[in-house]
Amino acid sequence: MAENVIGTDISPPDLRAKITGQARYAEDFHAEGMVFAKLLLSPMPHARVLSVDTSAAERMEGVLGILRADELPVQAEGTREGALTDEPKYEGEPILAVAAVDETIAAAAVEAIRVELEPLPFVLDPLDSLREGGPDAHVGGNVAGRGELSSLKWPASVFEEAGADKLPMGEAPAEWTIGDIDAGFAEADVVVEETIVHQSVTHHPMEPRSCMAYWQNGKLFLHGSTQSTERTRGNVARMAGVEPDDVVFIGEYCGGGFGSKISGSPIMAVPAVLSRKIGRPVMLRITRYEENYIGRARAGFQGWAKIGFRADGRMTALDLYLVQDSGPYGASDFFTAGTVATASYQPENMRFRGVAILTNTPPRSAQRAPGGAQIVAMLEPLVDKAARELDVDRLEIRKLNAPDSDGWLGPQQGPFTSAYVREALDLGGELFGWEEKRQLSGQRNGTKVTGVGIGLSPFTAGSTGRDGLLVIRPDGKLHVHQGIGNLGTHSIADTARPAADVLDLSWDQVVIVWGDTSKHLPFSTVQAGSQTTHAHTRANHAAATAMVGLLQELAARELGGSPSSYRVADGRVFRAGNRAAGLSFGEAARVAMALGGKFSGGEYPEDLNDATKAAVAGLAGEGLIAAARDNYERAGAVYTWVATFAQVELDVETGEVEIIDLASATDCGTVMHPRSLAAQTNGGVFQGIGMAKGQRWVFDPKWGIPFTKRFYTARPPGILDVPPSPRFTAVDRADPHTPVGAKGIGEPPVGAGEAAYVCAVADAMGGLCLCRTPLTADMILAELEGRPRPYGLLDTHV
Amino acid sequence: MAIIRDMIPPFELFQPAGVDDAVRLMREHGDRGWVLAGGLDTFDWFKDRIKRPEAVIDLGGVDELKGIEVADDGGLEIGAMTSLTAVAENGDVRSGYPLLAEASGLVATPQIRNQGTLGGNIIQDTRCWYYRSGWPCYRAGGNICYAATPRSMNREHCIVGASRCVAVNPSDTAPALIALDAEMVVASTGGERTYAAEDFFIGPDIDIERMTVLEPGDLLTRIRLPAPWSGARWYFEKIRDRKAWDFSLVSVASMVNVEGGVIRDARIVVNGIAPYPVRATASEAAVRGQAPSDETGQAAGEIAVRGARALRHNDYKIALTRNLVKRAIRDAA
Amino acid sequence: MLETEVIQSRRGGFTRRKFIKGVIATGATASAAGYLFRGSGVLAPMLSAQGAVERLVTLNVNGQQRRVDVPKQETLAMTLRYQLGLTGTKLGCDRAECGACTVLIDGVTHYGCSILTHSVRGREVQTIEGLEENGQLHPVQQAVLDEGGFQCAFCAPGFTMSMVGMLSKHPNPTREEAAHLLSGNLCRCGDYDKILNTAMRAAELSRSRA
Repeated sequence: MAENVIGTDISPPDLRAKITGQARYAEDFHAEGMVFAKLLLSPMPHARVLSVDTSAAERMEGVLGILRADELPVQAEGTREGALTDEPKYEGEPILAVAAVDETIAAAAVEAIRVELEPLPFVLDPLDSLREGGPDAHVGGNVAGRGELSSLKWPASVFEEAGADKLPMGEAPAEWTIGDIDAGFAEADVVVEETIVHQSVTHHPMEPRSCMAYWQNGKLFLHGSTQSTERTRGNVARMAGVEPDDVVFIGEYCGGGFGSKISGSPIMAVPAVLSRKIGRPVMLRITRYEENYIGRARAGFQGWAKIGFRADGRMTALDLYLVQDSGPYGASDFFTAGTVATASYQPENMRFRGVAILTNTPPRSAQRAPGGAQIVAMLEPLVDKAARELDVDRLEIRKLNAPDSDGWLGPQQGPFTSAYVREALDLGGELFGWEEKRQLSGQRNGTKVTGVGIGLSPFTAGSTGRDGLLVIRPDGKLHVHQGIGNLGTHSIADTARPAADVLDLSWDQVVIVWGDTSKHLPFSTVQAGSQTTHAHTRANHAAATAMVGLLQELAARELGGSPSSYRVADGRVFRAGNRAAGLSFGEAARVAMALGGKFSGGEYPEDLNDATKAAVAGLAGEGLIAAARDNYERAGAVYTWVATFAQVELDVETGEVEIIDLASATDCGTVMHPRSLAAQTNGGVFQGIGMAKGQRWVFDPKWGIPFTKRFYTARPPGILDVPPSPRFTAVDRADPHTPVGAKGIGEPPVGAGEAAYVCAVADAMGGLCLCRTPLTADMILAELEGRPRPYGLLDTHV
Repeated sequence: MAIIRDMIPPFELFQPAGVDDAVRLMREHGDRGWVLAGGLDTFDWFKDRIKRPEAVIDLGGVDELKGIEVADDGGLEIGAMTSLTAVAENGDVRSGYPLLAEASGLVATPQIRNQGTLGGNIIQDTRCWYYRSGWPCYRAGGNICYAATPRSMNREHCIVGASRCVAVNPSDTAPALIALDAEMVVASTGGERTYAAEDFFIGPDIDIERMTVLEPGDLLTRIRLPAPWSGARWYFEKIRDRKAWDFSLVSVASMVNVEGGVIRDARIVVNGIAPYPVRATASEAAVRGQAPSDETGQAAGEIAVRGARALRHNDYKIALTRNLVKRAIRDAA
Repeated sequence: MLETEVIQSRRGGFTRRKFIKGVIATGATASAAGYLFRGSGVLAPMLSAQGAVERLVTLNVNGQQRRVDVPKQETLAMTLRYQLGLTGTKLGCDRAECGACTVLIDGVTHYGCSILTHSVRGREVQTIEGLEENGQLHPVQQAVLDEGGFQCAFCAPGFTMSMVGMLSKHPNPTREEAAHLLSGNLCRCGDYDKILNTAMRAAELSRSRA
């Protein structure tokens, strides 16, 4: 019997390459005759290109070509983004690209181009755009809806009524209710109400989205950074104006995405089209400066919440209003936010209202728990505020409101597959020492005051219907073809573990095939929404189960007897009770190749997705091939919860906050890879803390230009900004609606870390919630010193 | 012409072996030349393509500008090209001038301290983001300050010493050196001059385009520290958003001489609040003869922020300065 | 500033601000114009001004002498990556802020993106590709494997080099000291806990190998 690999610590197979410098990311490739491209970025937040004079640039020696927006197969229109545009809608949006023999010349050529721009009105703050006569991010509108542009303005009375310190709440295009919100408040013993601002924030993965492209025999070869390999190919094909079959996408390593590179990036169109135009391989090195602009950002919220609680702490009413900053091309975070709130609190009555407004700031995309992290960080301090008023313990109030496996999700109030949230809260509380540490709340030592806080964060964590594809080759090894990308979560290897366990095969006999669409990759999930672990442990489980069936059938056919009399283990298929009477995997592969048909990819299940069918056809005859679609039943939404506990010390003379201790616990089903799970949880918690503590997104409001485009001004958290020994534990209880039991973990920790931090800081301030992120020292000190607040309550991008 | 903020434009590179050669090259190239020390401020300007010299004079090979030596008077002489790591780790600095060791050790990151020089840290340009973004402000030769309008983003800007420009001095070592009463030795073709550290930094009222007395052709060669105050207490604190790679919002450096439970003398310097490091002389006078207590510190802090004026977003610097000056007296050890 | 210039061009007025901008820009571009093509390996003249450094330089990288033709303004990270094919040194920011390009120069950590190649003449440069000795991983690399270190790992070469530099000076750091000594490197996956586990393991391995 091979040892089961689910639940063990095994380093990913690509790690050695990563730390010897052999792992090649997109910018590390070189093609014969490769040249370089540079972008000309818009200097204005909103403008129309009137004319472009490239003559001086084109005369420069070494300049090979210029690419304009109208040469792209996918062009910017309405709220659809193009890789280049003649109507830039944020400062830094690429207008054109220049190719030259080297970057020094390309940069000089960009400088030699004269662009005449007509400045157009721009808007940074959604509330400004909602005012009558206020500026719109697009000519003709401020709301995106399915590619259509529309306009939404609120009457002046809405703003007057709200005053300066409360969110104005006019007509909301999105609204849903559960129960009767008024009745819920009538039942409440305590009601808390706040206006809350959550900033937008850039993703800033370590690897900028550089990409290199060339054409060979009519096929496009593109090296790029992506979260999901197989699902990027079609996107690239569309951007290049060719069929997916004519694209080879290579992305074996991805230097982080966090939602900003789900299926590649729009900018990939530039080297793809430019290399075809000039007949040379083109490398587009994206710099950090450019990454700041085109690298995506989380949508910020200006929000308001009113929450009612019964004396025991049960939430009777949650009234939520969110104004979302959607950037120039839209975002859907706010929809998710309302749903996620239900997964934390199961409010007896709820009303959600939301409006998403376009602004002339860099484009938004999903960012690790889009909508979820924001809402958790916004609402958790209010729960604390109520707990304080009710004199209910803050851990208890969360346990009281959290769902169990009979809980419900969102406006449809559908079921969960499983929810062991109270267990996670208990485990986390125990690990952290909540009982003792809550006694430290408000204790002063010199100039430092202690605060403790809890953040409970749910997020979606699975999907179904993807395909698994396995090949046993004549060398006897099991090749697991993975269409998913290698974005740093170790999922290319970890989701293959069920295949090894089902086949009872030792892990060193497993080969992972990934990162290059010419390697016949199956249909996969986009790596977003923390789906991968759930979706692909299922898919590989299904394929491995199919493989067992094929091995049994093949053995029976070769050696006699019924298929069910054969067992599979240790790289052999053999008659039960007689290991000698059987075939090695290598022998089985050779037999399968001789037999063909369903044993070797000649036939395959009809319900496979098209991409998988093509992959199987491409592999036909190369071994014993099993492909299967994940048809396992799943009744309910797959959700993961993380509870993070934080202890901080606030220096009342400086406003500085130091995190003394952090502990997190999760319910993410069966633990696949303990060490990696802890690392991803801690990393997500740190990302959340970064947003809450100091990461910044600042614009000059007069000129519409961002200043936080360097790391030292954007301030993502460094190793000294988080405690050196965060702790972690998991409930490790299988989700009953998946054969493997595992759920995703990528996103839920972010809101947990962010909320735990915000709550701990409020606790150190005697329960005072500043109700905005980031909570920098200047804001805290101003409050402690009773000095004027540095920013208005609703100010955004500060 | 369009803007692009990447790729260093070409230049000619000179690597003199001695100060005389360096000074000669600087004179030859005048304002089309650029002196390169550690390069960490320089490469930002070059990569942003805002500063575009024809000739770069790299001092990396000028060995006479490196090193730390004990002087005849018991003081210390530090070559301007000595790395910040070397300063922070030097035994004589650590024993005699722990204030400077601490300040040097808090600059940016280990890699930057390994390459960045004491001289470069002292004379680095301001980090006002309008100015660093290439906007044509007063400091860049224009006729406006973008950071001081009612809607400007000026959380990091000054509360003291504004004169058209509201940028602040970003150096960590500068306030420490003023507190230590250091001297700056400057070479030029005209010979050598010496400035008290306090007089080395200038405000926009004197010259809005420079942060120090150095003019084109001048080279900061050495930093001289007087013999250590025996038994003096010291304090250094840098408040910043991130604990590495960040400039101070406000920093404070102090040397406090306490005898018989009473402050005999004190030098207190605050940076990050003005276009130059500010010596809190009135606070120093107020604490002489007093016990180094919370009350004395509080009084010194209040005095330090007299006359300070906040911009739209930096009022907190007034409270922060007051509190840091308080600590610089109360917590000096 | 171009923003100003362009914003005003539409109105066609000759404003004072634009005028000043023009003066600055003209001064700057005029002084660089003569050098416009010197960055290109294809087009650049090989001659240097009198007394200036020669473009041809011999570099000592990972124990090998490599002769390369390097533009005066080129940084070490670009030379390593684009002339010597040593792409293990990553560019995360190119501004001395993230540490992905960290290399050792004479055993000391530097940001490869922010030092001129011509400044390392005569000095020993070591990159991630030069850590293995006779097929044996460096203790820091072994520690990464032991601890399952890093997620996306784009920061890994830089962190690895910082750990190598750290251990040569501080063979026995505490976890807190290690965090300070590694604070010049950024990991956006936030894998700092595992990075510190790796650092401590590397210190242990280094001591046992010594």
